[in-house]
Amino acid sequence: MRIVHYVNQFYAGLGGEAEAGIGPRALEGTVGPGRLLSQLLGDEHEIVVTLVCGDDYAASNTAVAEELVGMAREAGAELLVAGPAFGSGRYGLVCARLVAAAEAAGLPALASMHPDNPGISDAGGAPVVAAGASSRQMRPTLQTVAAAIAKLATGANLTVADGRVARAARVGQLVDQRAAARAVELVLRRLAGDRESTEVPVGGFDVVTPSAPVDKLASATVALVTEGALVPAGNPDRLESARATRWLRYPIEGMDSLASGKWESVDGGFATTAANADPNRIVPLDTVRRLERDGVIGRLHNELLVTVGNGTQVASARRFGVEWAAELRKAGVQAAILTAT
Amino acid sequence: MPVLRRMVHEVRSMEIGAATRYEQHQLVVGREQAQALFADPALAAVRVHVAAPGDPTRIIAPLDVVEPRSKGPGGGVFPGWMAPVNRPRGGDTHVLRGAAVLAAGYLPRNQEGLIDMSGPAAERSPFGRTNNVVIEFDRADGASWQEAEVALRRGLLRLAVHLADAAVDAPPDVVEELAAPHRPGMSTGGLPRVGAITNLQTQGAFKDVFVYGRSMAGSLPTLFDPVEIEDGAVVSGQYGHPALRNPTYIHQNNPVVAELRARDGQDLCFAGVVLCPEPVEQADKELVSTHAAWLCRAAGFDAAIVTKEGAGNADNDLMLKVDALEADGLTAVALYAELSGADGTGPPLVAGPRRGAVVSTGNYDQRVKLPAVERALGGTRLNIADAEATAAVDVPTAAILGALSPLGAGWLTCRSEQQQLAGQKLGGAA
Repeated sequence: MRIVHYVNQFYAGLGGEAEAGIGPRALEGTVGPGRLLSQLLGDEHEIVVTLVCGDDYAASNTAVAEELVGMAREAGAELLVAGPAFGSGRYGLVCARLVAAAEAAGLPALASMHPDNPGISDAGGAPVVAAGASSRQMRPTLQTVAAAIAKLATGANLTVADGRVARAARVGQLVDQRAAARAVELVLRRLAGDRESTEVPVGGFDVVTPSAPVDKLASATVALVTEGALVPAGNPDRLESARATRWLRYPIEGMDSLASGKWESVDGGFATTAANADPNRIVPLDTVRRLERDGVIGRLHNELLVTVGNGTQVASARRFGVEWAAELRKAGVQAAILTAT
Repeated sequence: MPVLRRMVHEVRSMEIGAATRYEQHQLVVGREQAQALFADPALAAVRVHVAAPGDPTRIIAPLDVVEPRSKGPGGGVFPGWMAPVNRPRGGDTHVLRGAAVLAAGYLPRNQEGLIDMSGPAAERSPFGRTNNVVIEFDRADGASWQEAEVALRRGLLRLAVHLADAAVDAPPDVVEELAAPHRPGMSTGGLPRVGAITNLQTQGAFKDVFVYGRSMAGSLPTLFDPVEIEDGAVVSGQYGHPALRNPTYIHQNNPVVAELRARDGQDLCFAGVVLCPEPVEQADKELVSTHAAWLCRAAGFDAAIVTKEGAGNADNDLMLKVDALEADGLTAVALYAELSGADGTGPPLVAGPRRGAVVSTGNYDQRVKLPAVERALGGTRLNIADAEATAAVDVPTAAILGALSPLGAGWLTCRSEQQQLAGQKLGGAA
């Protein structure tokens, strides 16, 4: 098979975070992890072209996926392979979007990333095989990818046995016993020594390690971001009041504060009266402008990023986080103040 | 020795008439009598309707729901609202089982939800299965929403008592005797002592739950007399996520306590109820959780079933309590609703315990298609679906009142498709 391989700027050897803003490009033959992958694939399959894009550029621009699929087509791809992205959020998101776009365009595709990668849900129905958590697991991961490619070449579908990440759907259903009765059954089973039974798996929550403090705040660009659903009065873009599926951006350049009556919170999860009376108490533009004038911070980023955190599912929130990080990095922002409600 | 006898009258039909009366499983609601119970300067008008299971009726924006109960002419239910707290406890309480009274209509902090009396939403809500008196209302000019809400709450409680008063002289269909919780130190015959921790939402106006008429905000967890909860000591003023609410009706019929009582003396000893606030600050959450675990241990619990009200914030309270209980050597089970996205593939929990076990009350995000209905009460539009109130709509389970009941009154759960398919059908069309 003629394979087109996608990697980010880092694995292509073009540079780290400083180069994360570069646009899409095609390189001849194998690059970075593609070399080992090519060896593992043997002579039957050939990586003809490697596509590369900067993580920030690709993660903050949803049209990039289609552009890359077009480039893969031009290179005569019979299969598009993306990653492995391991646990990297922006890279994983781009790989996931890319295989989803390829499948939608009728081009077979395969991505690889860690099962907990925040981008994974964007792959939709396209196959994703499990990668390790970091590039320390490069070789075993590429062995999984190579075996999956060989299987796909036979026309077979991938299964969990091939390392395919099964997005096991939790399917709601009505049952005869109400939840309280099932809770009593469960507590009795646990008391009888069964410590494993549970209807929902427990544990496995992320612990976020805070970044190091900003080195020189007086020269840093700082952004304001919020999950408090603060939008222009009338909510022109119709942000949801709960269960957000998207986020929005609003220019705040030249504004010294957020005027009452011009902004409102549409969050359905808290009493918005005080927030609407003084929107600066939910997004502290007035204070941050003063810090900017006083030279405490270098500059305030010229856009406010907004979503609503009320009832928003974890998968969406993680995706917004990855997209915001890419967006802010691309804009040269060093620090963000996230106000939560 | 029973401490409370429930004199149960099974209501099988309901209609509006000239005067309230109850006979032969039929409840007639006196229209003017009911309206008079809502007389308050904050309300310009109320309208009384009934909605029965199977009706092609949708109730938009339901507020609180109350079960009609009465202790007879001397009063005594809803202590702190309709009765003093220092009155004789226990005795006989008349219950109109199968009946509920509720208010419906716009209230600014009410997250809009619905009850359908037929179809898939009726199967998911405890209130799709009750004969409901529905109160629509108009706020008086010059009254605040807060005043209107208090007036509605008082009106609903008065109406609940008024309706149950009509059955006091009727022979009960069933008499249910409730015993006091098992005391620490008494022999259990080898059975484990299992209790309930009931978390109450305490986030200020329109997000508050009242114990003896007072908000529980700022309180420490307390061991509480379950018979007092039967008699209405816990009243809801909480209008968050409709599917994740515990209306007063659900407290009156606390499902965890009911299920523990059902196994009392057979598989376990019912050890009691601990009421807890859900504070908003992390340090307070930790304090309350630590204290609740100590209280359960001091009260001799071997295990506890922990429940919540709300989502997000409230999930953290559950998590901290389960972890604190298990760290203290108790066995804990929590009831959570999942938020795994419309397709069910997202992470199911926002916050979850490190140990213990979790019962699922369903997926908040799962969509449910509801057929058109003939009649709507409570409003003319369903804003969450941007549709006429009677239209066929597609809504998340989150919108159906009590469908994900945090106290376990609902019949939803989630199962993992992967477990069912075990490796099949994962290939897609590669």
